[in-house]
Amino acid sequence: MKILAFLTNQFLKRNAKFSFIATCLALSACGDSSQNLSQQALNNLNKSYPSQSGGTLLDATIGEPSGLIYMVAGESAAGAISSNIFNKLLKYDKNLDLEGELVEGWQVSSDQKTITFKLKPNLKWSDGKPLTSADVLWTWQAVTDEKTRSPYASDFQLVKKAETPDALTFSVTYDQAYAPALDSWAGLQILPKHLLQGQDLHTTAFARKPVGSNYYKLDSWTNGENIKLSRNPSSVLGQAKIDNLVTRIIPDSSAQFLELMADNIDSMGLDPIKYARIIPARPELKQKLALYKELGNSYTYMGFNLKRKPYDDVRVRKAINYAIDKQEIIDGVYLGLGIDIASPYKPGTRWSNPDLKPYPYDPQKAKVLLKEAGFVDSDGDGVLERDGKPFSFEILTNQNKEREKSAVLIQRRLKNVGIQANVRAIEWASFISRFIKTGDFDVVILGWGLGLDPDQFNIWHSSQQAPGQFNFIGYNNPSIDMLLEQGRTELNPDKRQKIYHEFARVLLEDSPIVYLSAGYGLSAIHKRVKGIDNPAPPAGVGWNTYDWYIPEPLRRAVPGRTEISTN
Amino acid sequence: MNKSLLEKALQNPLSKAGFVIIVLVFLLAMLAPIIAPYDPNDINVKAILLSPSWQHWMGTDGLGRDVLSRMLYGGRISLLVGLVAVGISTAIGILLGAIAGYYRGWVDTLIMRLVDVMLSIPSFFLILAVIAFLTPSIINVMIVIGLTSWMGVTRLVRAEFLSLSGREFVLASRTLGAKDARLIFTHLLPNSLTPIIVSSVLGVAGAVLMESGLSFLGLGVQAPQASWGNILTDGKDYIQFAWWLSLFPGLAILITVLGYNLLGEGLRDALDPRSENNR
Repeated sequence: MKILAFLTNQFLKRNAKFSFIATCLALSACGDSSQNLSQQALNNLNKSYPSQSGGTLLDATIGEPSGLIYMVAGESAAGAISSNIFNKLLKYDKNLDLEGELVEGWQVSSDQKTITFKLKPNLKWSDGKPLTSADVLWTWQAVTDEKTRSPYASDFQLVKKAETPDALTFSVTYDQAYAPALDSWAGLQILPKHLLQGQDLHTTAFARKPVGSNYYKLDSWTNGENIKLSRNPSSVLGQAKIDNLVTRIIPDSSAQFLELMADNIDSMGLDPIKYARIIPARPELKQKLALYKELGNSYTYMGFNLKRKPYDDVRVRKAINYAIDKQEIIDGVYLGLGIDIASPYKPGTRWSNPDLKPYPYDPQKAKVLLKEAGFVDSDGDGVLERDGKPFSFEILTNQNKEREKSAVLIQRRLKNVGIQANVRAIEWASFISRFIKTGDFDVVILGWGLGLDPDQFNIWHSSQQAPGQFNFIGYNNPSIDMLLEQGRTELNPDKRQKIYHEFARVLLEDSPIVYLSAGYGLSAIHKRVKGIDNPAPPAGVGWNTYDWYIPEPLRRAVPGRTEISTN
Repeated sequence: MNKSLLEKALQNPLSKAGFVIIVLVFLLAMLAPIIAPYDPNDINVKAILLSPSWQHWMGTDGLGRDVLSRMLYGGRISLLVGLVAVGISTAIGILLGAIAGYYRGWVDTLIMRLVDVMLSIPSFFLILAVIAFLTPSIINVMIVIGLTSWMGVTRLVRAEFLSLSGREFVLASRTLGAKDARLIFTHLLPNSLTPIIVSSVLGVAGAVLMESGLSFLGLGVQAPQASWGNILTDGKDYIQFAWWLSLFPGLAILITVLGYNLLGEGLRDALDPRSENNR
């Protein structure tokens, strides 16, 4: 699903597009199987095999989805599974160019306001009923319905008129040209009208037993244990190679890693220490796991509450920016697996402004700026004061090891310029509900995961500050508002590029947040899984999971191993 | 009285071991600023997750900080929390127990039902629930542990008071016209002190464990300050690789708790007239 923006609490796992089988549920029973992989078996892993179908891929998720209707779930755990079940009108190919998924083609009118989609003929839901333009229209009505309360509604509410002239044609008309339009249709999972009409999407049983049209269908969902998908014989896109995808629910990343080592899951997202230190140092892991690294469309930042003093003062924000050594965080916390950035876009893409340079580490400049802003250490205790109050704040972040460590490094650097910072790490759900949604914070360390379109209206526009909306730092800059409004309606890519380069420049100058780094998505996949593009194409490791395959000799032993002895 | 009790307890080699352990742990924690080889918060991103060596006896953590130094400073926190928390709970316990045991009647019923209610809630969950509402800090942890673990002492003191108040010396004193306060503070309390000490020693073990648990969950001592519990959390993700991050704090908690328990058990045996060692 296209996600215009979401808050990230973990490493982005790009290959999370699919998921897989738990044949092995008794940990102790299966634990030793992989560690004793014979040399022969290891050699076999590195041979090349012809593509063949069958087998089971085991994956793991930290969080259990709340349901599989993505437009209401809006969380990455749900998206990882629902994207195997549902189709969208459009999708991205490996180079991130748009192509049809459910549609054969689409046409944009000359005034750029109307898009007409032509569906592929003979599309079917996995229950055998035909998939037509009526389903698409119904899905659009559902996502824009007030009662659905979808976080993605704003993308589709700009559609003034949606029509279905015939069963294979669906057309939408916007009030004015909307640049992210096609992108938004590459994100909307189409739902079956015949099963959902008249139901409340928040409570329907469909969310736990969905019927889709994509490569896989849901077989079973055992709470707290696993979600099993199997190949959908009537898939509209042809047949995927792997028979079964099983996603095991393992809510702790250390436990996931133990399962990966014990060969009880095939893939997982990694943190930099596991990726760069632990796996390379262990030959038995290096031999059976392939490591993947891709620059995600995401970054980590330290944000200020701009509604509070003294963060409303640009000199203070700049001073803090100068006082933080970002390279130290990239080297020490991300082990070099990060990039220093100066605009809120993926480095190297056209939207990222190459002329901008990150704030260098310059504590002297920071001190001068703080002095200008009225902060002086009048009592000689090493902490600056203004109006008799010491400059001290709490850095809040979620319980993410990398962010906690970054916070500790920042704490030390700030101390050097006379700012007293405390660090507090809070569990994700309460962090969001207690602090972010209420705006009750001074400084936070968080991340943004971004869509492909450069539009960042909902993060930076001054109108997006209601509780639950994404501009929770309270950023309000008329020139940024104007640029964001222009960028949305500008269709010429070169002019758009200029707008977003200017946007990034103003943003950097104003320093409402401190960019810490753009991080790599790191993952390990067992070498039994073949057909994976390495290095990853722009669309990510998981772009072609339907083409991944597990050659028969490398498959796990029969799925009868579930019940083994109790010891 | 206490001295002879301690002496009696120390005749038992196990409780002697416990005593030695506690003294050692205290010494190490007290002397942390002198013996710690590094500043416990000194970050060195070029030396992260180094295994134990002559430079770093207990290795380094995920930010290149010296684990030994952090262990020593963390020990101070653990012991401080243990002592203060038990101090609070003992004070509350004595107060409520004395009131219940001395005045009896409806006050007694009220206090003892309160004790039952508090005991019916698993204390760790109670503490978790309370801490979740507060800002995590050492002070809050000490207070909350103290406020949620006084029930044992209350029962103990009440029972002692009940049995003591019928004894001749108390009756004699009362006949001579002693006031409540005098009876409580000069006769009843000093004579119930020994079992209170025993239960406090055992209570410290529980509090040390509780603090480690809370810090492990991120609800106790906050970064960058070290505590055994949060060093353990740092090690959790790398338990198979950076074993030193889990092993040393784990052992430190184990040994300290063991020390308090051995000493506490020894004291209890020494108190118990039926115990073997006493004959």
